[in-house]
Amino acid sequence: MAYLFQPDYVRYVCSCGSVKPVSKIYFCRHCLKVRCGYCVCHEVDSHYCSNCMENLPSPEVRLKKNKCSNCFECPCCFQTLSTRAAPAPVRAGGNPSVEDTKSLAKPPPKKVYYLSCSFCRWTSRDAGIPDQFVATGGWPEQENPHLARIVALLEYHKILASRERQQSERKKFHPKRTYMQFEKFAMSSVMVRKRAGLCPLPQSQQSDYPQPAVASEEVEELSPDIFTQPLDITKITTLEQRLKHPDVQAEEINQLRPQHKQFLMKRSQRCRVCEHNVCKPEYSPQSIKFKIQLAAFYHIPEVRIVTCEPLRIGQTSELLLKLCNPTQHQTQIMLFPLSTSITPTTVTAAGTKEVDRENMQLGCESPNLLPSLVRQITVTEDPKPLKLSPQAEIILPESILILPPRDDAAEYDDTGDTHNFQDDPKLVVWRKGNKAVIRLLVKPNEDEQIEEGKEITVGFVMQYGYVNTIATLEHKEPQKLDLKIKLFLSIGKLVGST
Amino acid sequence: MEPQDIYYNKAEYVETASGNKVSRQTVLCGSQNIVLHGKVIVQSDAIIRGDLANVRTGRYCIISKNVVIRPPFKKFSKGVAFFPLQMGDHVFVGERAVVNAAVVGSYVHIGKDALIGRRCILKDCCFIEDGAVVPPETVVPSFTRFAGNPATCVEDLPECTLDLMLDYTKNYYQHFLPARV
Repeated sequence: MAYLFQPDYVRYVCSCGSVKPVSKIYFCRHCLKVRCGYCVCHEVDSHYCSNCMENLPSPEVRLKKNKCSNCFECPCCFQTLSTRAAPAPVRAGGNPSVEDTKSLAKPPPKKVYYLSCSFCRWTSRDAGIPDQFVATGGWPEQENPHLARIVALLEYHKILASRERQQSERKKFHPKRTYMQFEKFAMSSVMVRKRAGLCPLPQSQQSDYPQPAVASEEVEELSPDIFTQPLDITKITTLEQRLKHPDVQAEEINQLRPQHKQFLMKRSQRCRVCEHNVCKPEYSPQSIKFKIQLAAFYHIPEVRIVTCEPLRIGQTSELLLKLCNPTQHQTQIMLFPLSTSITPTTVTAAGTKEVDRENMQLGCESPNLLPSLVRQITVTEDPKPLKLSPQAEIILPESILILPPRDDAAEYDDTGDTHNFQDDPKLVVWRKGNKAVIRLLVKPNEDEQIEEGKEITVGFVMQYGYVNTIATLEHKEPQKLDLKIKLFLSIGKLVGST
Repeated sequence: MEPQDIYYNKAEYVETASGNKVSRQTVLCGSQNIVLHGKVIVQSDAIIRGDLANVRTGRYCIISKNVVIRPPFKKFSKGVAFFPLQMGDHVFVGERAVVNAAVVGSYVHIGKDALIGRRCILKDCCFIEDGAVVPPETVVPSFTRFAGNPATCVEDLPECTLDLMLDYTKNYYQHFLPARV
């Protein structure tokens, strides 16, 4: 949790080369690699309104321009407007005698509704919008002054798109046609049906082409009273208020109109290499559960700094780290220096063997169910070079630390630990359940010029045992693997030298 | 970072059978209307206004020093009415925060000096930063971080927020220990 409001003290190196805290990375079970927000595909799952929690299918969302039709935002401070009820005012003037008899016959039960911002006290009455007689809906829509032009351009682009699609479809059929279909049957019935509803392809395009925009040199003259009128800054809208509604950009406060609230969305993340989902939330906007949750927090041992003694150049300080195994399987952890290669290895009868997971995955069928035409082609980047360099030496242990699996019931178990691990007493300070605290020694580098008060980073490679439970063709049994990940820790500021 | 131990004066706190730790220096108005669902910490000088309407909290809620928890009211044509305030599990409320929300979901973090306006609804897994002012009747959706005055969504939260928050409140409870004399 501390990850949400503390600086990132412990950072893991993603396979793309960026460094992230464990809460923000994913672990792809299929490639057995760490992925982060930069190296996964983000896909929109569902749109919902943050105020009324209504969720809509995406075609409807597009029709509504990503905005909720019921909820409004204050044009001044961008908070949600609430609907207020007020008794309907008694209409004066007109025919007073008729009015009187009416009000005598039945007392006015009518209510009028207006929108009001509870934060800045803006109301729809300030903008001169007439009160409504129904609680929801019926508010006048603000029209874009350039609507006609936008519609014309949109139409034109739709035509262009459909034309392009036809061309590409024709290209697709072309190689087939040469040697089978067309020699036998001239034009297949499928092709005929495809051609039937479409407009004739050739040259009649020019007519629907909208007038191109022409730049003009003439600019409207400023009215002379702009120099003489005193400026009332309180009546002018701010830049933020204007840019919030780019189609209108009202200049004066009283021209501001309530705006529809923008939809938020739920996203799912997909690994770019193997195209499996690493994270997929449930559809409902209220739900906080996930259908697929491969966040690294649940798969990679978590490292936390417990304490670190004050750091001095040329002096070793004690660093206590807490390690936690979040998986359902026992894991064994070893620490290596930063220069170690991080390819995963597996232990077989023949000895350790490197696993080349990536090539294996590319050969098998992609799980992305979208047809290949619609689907985006995934782009994989080469990992970025790492720019962090440790300013201190860390003395790593040679013994293996074994962490038992996570057991949620252990919390209620008072009998104490039943595990009897042969721990190195120099390394392990404390152990409970799936957590252990280890002691390491760090020594700030002497040769480098480090100023006092500078943040010191150390780094190492952590090797952890991972049990792969996905059954593939080659491996039906759960497979035991040793994976490695680079870590960087900010352990505190340099206090001084000895 | 691993949280540090917090030591309290044993004479100051009352511990109930369900593990609630409530300071004696708090103002609990209408205590028959306040339900703390176990392992809840209420620290000194906190005010819970159970006299206005029911206040219910879930398990592992931490209510820090000088917090005001006050059920929200709504104005009607004939006077006002107070509504019960419901709080989920694993909620942290920072020092000097004022909570007037109608519903606070589970796994919610409310920062120090934050102000939650009348009849707000904080959904599960959301984060209100220190000093944020959430205007009345705002809905804070899940997995968002709200900050500023007026509070707006500044960032999305990681997917594992649930467990991060669970871990944090449990750890806080475990590190909240009576001082050894």
